[in-house]
Amino acid sequence: MSPQDLANAIVNGINAGGEQFLEGTLAAALPVIWLALLGLHLGRPYILDMIDRFTLRLGADMLWLVYVAIRDLLIVSGVVMSFMYFFPDVVISDQLPLTGGLAAAALFGVLLIKLVSDPDHDPRAFRIVTYLLGLGALLYFIPYLFGVQAAGVVTGTFATLSDFMVTSSNPFWAVGLAYVSIALIAIMGAAAVAYTLRTGGRADLAESESEDVAAAPQP
Amino acid sequence: MKPDDVANAITQALVQGGSQWLVASLVAFLPAMWTMALILHIGRPYVVRTLRRCGLRLGADVWWMSYLLMRDGVLLATLGMSLIFFAPALVANSAFPITGPLATLCLLLALAVKLSRRVDDDVAAFRLATVFLVAGATLYYLPQVFAVEAASQEHLSWLVNNLTSNSNPTLALAIMWVSLAGAALIAAWIFFRALASVNRKMTSRLSRTADIVQPRKRAALS
Repeated sequence: MSPQDLANAIVNGINAGGEQFLEGTLAAALPVIWLALLGLHLGRPYILDMIDRFTLRLGADMLWLVYVAIRDLLIVSGVVMSFMYFFPDVVISDQLPLTGGLAAAALFGVLLIKLVSDPDHDPRAFRIVTYLLGLGALLYFIPYLFGVQAAGVVTGTFATLSDFMVTSSNPFWAVGLAYVSIALIAIMGAAAVAYTLRTGGRADLAESESEDVAAAPQP
Repeated sequence: MKPDDVANAITQALVQGGSQWLVASLVAFLPAMWTMALILHIGRPYVVRTLRRCGLRLGADVWWMSYLLMRDGVLLATLGMSLIFFAPALVANSAFPITGPLATLCLLLALAVKLSRRVDDDVAAFRLATVFLVAGATLYYLPQVFAVEAASQEHLSWLVNNLTSNSNPTLALAIMWVSLAGAALIAAWIFFRALASVNRKMTSRLSRTADIVQPRKRAALS
């Protein structure tokens, strides 16, 4: 082995190891993100109770804004960090939950509902968001606990089931589900872009239409 | 190999590996940055809706200011990180999405729209910026997901060979040079526009100040 071969081997080791470390860190942080965002979403009645007890409007406004900001930023972070589930190479080489991409799609669905309606004031939209978060959590935690984490412990039929739920040991399904997740995200993303283009970034369609009429040249 | 050879090999590996690791980290974070930028830009109706629920001006201002800082900060950071797509050696030797430079050009166009028009008050300008951002993100995501990160997929081999920069360096470099020329033109336009705007605004401000100060001076002297 020449010094250049050794240097190349170390470079490859650093790059491959660094990439896997980054992906592993993201995968380890995602369950925490999911738990935190679920806790914040389900803890909304508690926050509303606290807001009612404030004697100053300023404190109530601040608590509500901080709550909304943390809750929604966690959802956005969850989607952003789940991006690795859409990369076929990553899905095949890393031990990830099989339905993690679908969970990310459910999370993106929550963002879409929040964009086109007002879940904090519309009970129907709030219920849809809750169902989507519940579905996403199930799709993430079941293969994470019973697949990724249980893979080295269980035996027999459970081992087969466990392997099925891990992307690196079930590449066919993993890549297939990655494509399905990409398609879902693309459709929802297109819907979000269409909505934002129609509203022009305004809070609702009626407002944007009235601005369009005002901006149009008058006869 | 002698101990000196091993030491040299490790030194070279750390230097080369470090630079490759930096580039690889930037490339790995770019999808996250693009997604964050898009979500923050497209999510504006939701942010405005939440803003209207604020009973106090202070809360609304803090909310809006935080949103603007994050949204535009992420856009700028994404542009800064995307500058690696304009480095010819990296484009020819690393696995980059082949249309990455065009995506960066679209991002720069969106920022130019923001600089030249009031995107938050003008619906048409907002729509234009949105179109540029979505076009840029699409040009980035498609080759990134279906070529750069899909090298193991045989059925995507055509995309992998043609849409990854180091597999198709001739086209990649051509796209890069064209995008670089476009970026230089836009940057020059932004520069001269800012210069003209400063001259115009400062002249008008100075003349306004003179209009206010000189009668007072005359009155004081008389």
